[in-house]
Amino acid sequence: MKYLLLVLRGAATGLWLLLALPTFAQVQELTHAHAIIDIDGKTLATEVRLPYHWDRRNEGRSGTAEFDIPFALGANPEILYGVYFRRLGNAYEIWFNGSLLQRNGDLASSDSADFAKAPRYLVVPHHLVRQQNSIKVRIRADGGRRGGLASPVFGPEAEVRELFETEHRWRVNGSFAVVVLSILVGVSAILLWFTQVDTSQAPGRGRDDLYLFAGVAELAWALRVSDAIIEQPLLGWTAWGTLQATALAVWLGSMAVFCMTLAGWDKGANGPRVKSFLLWLVAMGGAAAFASFQFDRTWLLTAWFIVASLFFAGFGVFFIASAYKSKDRMHHLVAVALAANVVTGLRDALVFRIADSYGDNSLTRYSSVLFGLVLGYVLLSRFKAATAQVRDLMQNLERKLLDRETELSRSYQRLELLARAQERAAERARIVRDMHDGVGSHITSAIRQLESAKASRADVLQTLRGSLDHLKLSIDAMNLPAGDVTALLANLRYRLDPRFAASDIELRWAVDVVKSLPALDPAGMHHLQFIVFEALSNVLQHARATVLRIQASALGSGVVVRLADNGIGFNVDAPRRKGLVSMHERAAAIGAQLSIRSSAAGTVIEIAFP
Amino acid sequence: MWRVLIVEDDAETSAFFAASVERHAQLSLVGCAVSVAAARTLLEESGQVDVVLTDLGLPDGSGLDVIRLARRLHPACDVMVISMFGDEANVLASIEAGALGYIHKDSRPEDVAATILEMRAGASHISPMIARRVLAKYLSLKDNAPTPPVAKVDPAPDPALSSRELEVCELIARGFSYLEIARLEQISVHTVKSHIKNLYRKLAVSSKNEAVYEATRMGLLRP
Repeated sequence: MKYLLLVLRGAATGLWLLLALPTFAQVQELTHAHAIIDIDGKTLATEVRLPYHWDRRNEGRSGTAEFDIPFALGANPEILYGVYFRRLGNAYEIWFNGSLLQRNGDLASSDSADFAKAPRYLVVPHHLVRQQNSIKVRIRADGGRRGGLASPVFGPEAEVRELFETEHRWRVNGSFAVVVLSILVGVSAILLWFTQVDTSQAPGRGRDDLYLFAGVAELAWALRVSDAIIEQPLLGWTAWGTLQATALAVWLGSMAVFCMTLAGWDKGANGPRVKSFLLWLVAMGGAAAFASFQFDRTWLLTAWFIVASLFFAGFGVFFIASAYKSKDRMHHLVAVALAANVVTGLRDALVFRIADSYGDNSLTRYSSVLFGLVLGYVLLSRFKAATAQVRDLMQNLERKLLDRETELSRSYQRLELLARAQERAAERARIVRDMHDGVGSHITSAIRQLESAKASRADVLQTLRGSLDHLKLSIDAMNLPAGDVTALLANLRYRLDPRFAASDIELRWAVDVVKSLPALDPAGMHHLQFIVFEALSNVLQHARATVLRIQASALGSGVVVRLADNGIGFNVDAPRRKGLVSMHERAAAIGAQLSIRSSAAGTVIEIAFP
Repeated sequence: MWRVLIVEDDAETSAFFAASVERHAQLSLVGCAVSVAAARTLLEESGQVDVVLTDLGLPDGSGLDVIRLARRLHPACDVMVISMFGDEANVLASIEAGALGYIHKDSRPEDVAATILEMRAGASHISPMIARRVLAKYLSLKDNAPTPPVAKVDPAPDPALSSRELEVCELIARGFSYLEIARLEQISVHTVKSHIKNLYRKLAVSSKNEAVYEATRMGLLRP
């Protein structure tokens, strides 16, 4: 309420000032002129009221005119005076009491630069001002280019300049700001459209068209508004004017599709129909502008504006109604911006195409700022939502991946446990077999020997020492480096050394350092140890040899272990004893070839690893 | 006359070793301890001790502590570990603690005294498996030798093995007997065995240096 009062008071003060101005400062708006109008070689001299709206008076044809504006000055000719034109051109000359004050553009050649866009202000040199004055303005006007002459305002320099500066700020600086904002929003939207691709969609369908429509609309609008600050366009007037009208049409069309997409109408039953109408409207806008400028048919463009206005008035009503029902905040904001723009658009269409106004400023360029801001807000919100969605997705994915990994490692652990259990079972079986064949059988024989009382003390002792040797070898087998035949033989010799020393056998050691055999895992090492141990035990107990040669060497790409004695030998083909059977079984288990040759001259046992 | 201390909690084994020692004219028994604590008392109060035979698994602690204690209180004494199997892990740990050999529980009585006397004469035994491990250990020590701090901490004994010691060690690992090695290297069997004793000493020094180096590095000791 307080603010409303303040605004009312401000408005009242402004009105009072406006009314007071002519009385005190002698600012006069000059509205009467003698005019000489020249179109296509035909000259017409007439009295006119200013402002003079060329297109409205001459139906869009091009030509030149000379206006003579006489006026009398009241008191106070001593102060500095200025003159302000809200609009004049497209090219013009301003004379004051016979002196040229300013010239812009070429009066002779139509379709060249357009200087009618900015307001003009001139300080009148002091010595030129008299009691009776005449301002003479000569203009060149191109058809449909909003040429003409606004009523000049003459008065004390400071006050007139104030009027000019306000107008300049709104029309030129304001337009510049709008262009910058539109380019910013437009480029951002296009970049978002280009970079934000939903890869889960089919190729070419992953982009969000909302960004595209927003971007195209804003860039088209930037082009359209830039006209207000570009005095010398690169194109001729017809082409430039058509481009400008098309830019406006594209803006309107893109905004409409943007609104439809936001409201979800584009997927509705009438969506495609409305869209094709909009496409037609845009095309017709360009065509109407071209015809209007090229063939001096201003009414064509006016007719297009009327159709567009009617459509957008209806569109606006529908959209606002749908926004009223909607709960979406974006929908509401866009509806507000759309309402503001439809209203100002209708007003501008009325002012520029229907009414006889000249020098007025279009309001749409300012109301469009609202659209630009809402658009930017919608884009950012959407981008933010999309980013949040992606982040959610990533987190989800990460969690799922983590779950999978945990699951995998769990099942891996289970497998590992299973494998280890299996390994342990195999190991246990091996140890049990080992005890059965080794310590168990030795102790059993020791018991038998003691029970039978036939065996000597030395025999029992030997049996028990054999048992302990066996046990030591079993433990060594667990620590032997897998695959190392040299270490295995060295260890066996070391363990059996007391027994060799006790016998009369001369040991000849020919063990090379041979390559590691991958086939010999710990179990394999144990098998090989058993085979060699069994063979050595046989030599020690039964062979009656004097020399035993133990050899390990490379054989081709493999390794051979050879035990050769000069003992009495044995019948290899006789029914096999338990020890020999076990040797063959174990050799097969480690993929070795076991060959036993025996004669009265001795025995050779070869264990060959291919 | 060498004075021998036996640390063994199994009465039968202890009695066997005590008898083996007492039977020999050149050896005398200091006493038989059945625990680390008892061993400590004997080591502290029995005057000269030349040889310590110790079991590793004792009721109140590890025989390794007995080894270290003996080395500290009687630097000139030789420590041997009584081992059932002469298995690598235990023997290596004993060597690193300062033992200079091991003696099997199932040794013949005459061998016990012979082994002790040989050791006093400067000779040690080693199994091929232990030799192999000593070689590997030596190579790994050489590879990441913390040389400068080692020199600073204990510069006296050089833990680097001589090439002859290395050769002996390699031949033992391949299964050659002391006699065969003596022939191959053209040295006496006793020299072979004294090389082995040196090996043990150096390994103990290396591992001690290594421990000190580690402790210094971790900030437990001031350099």
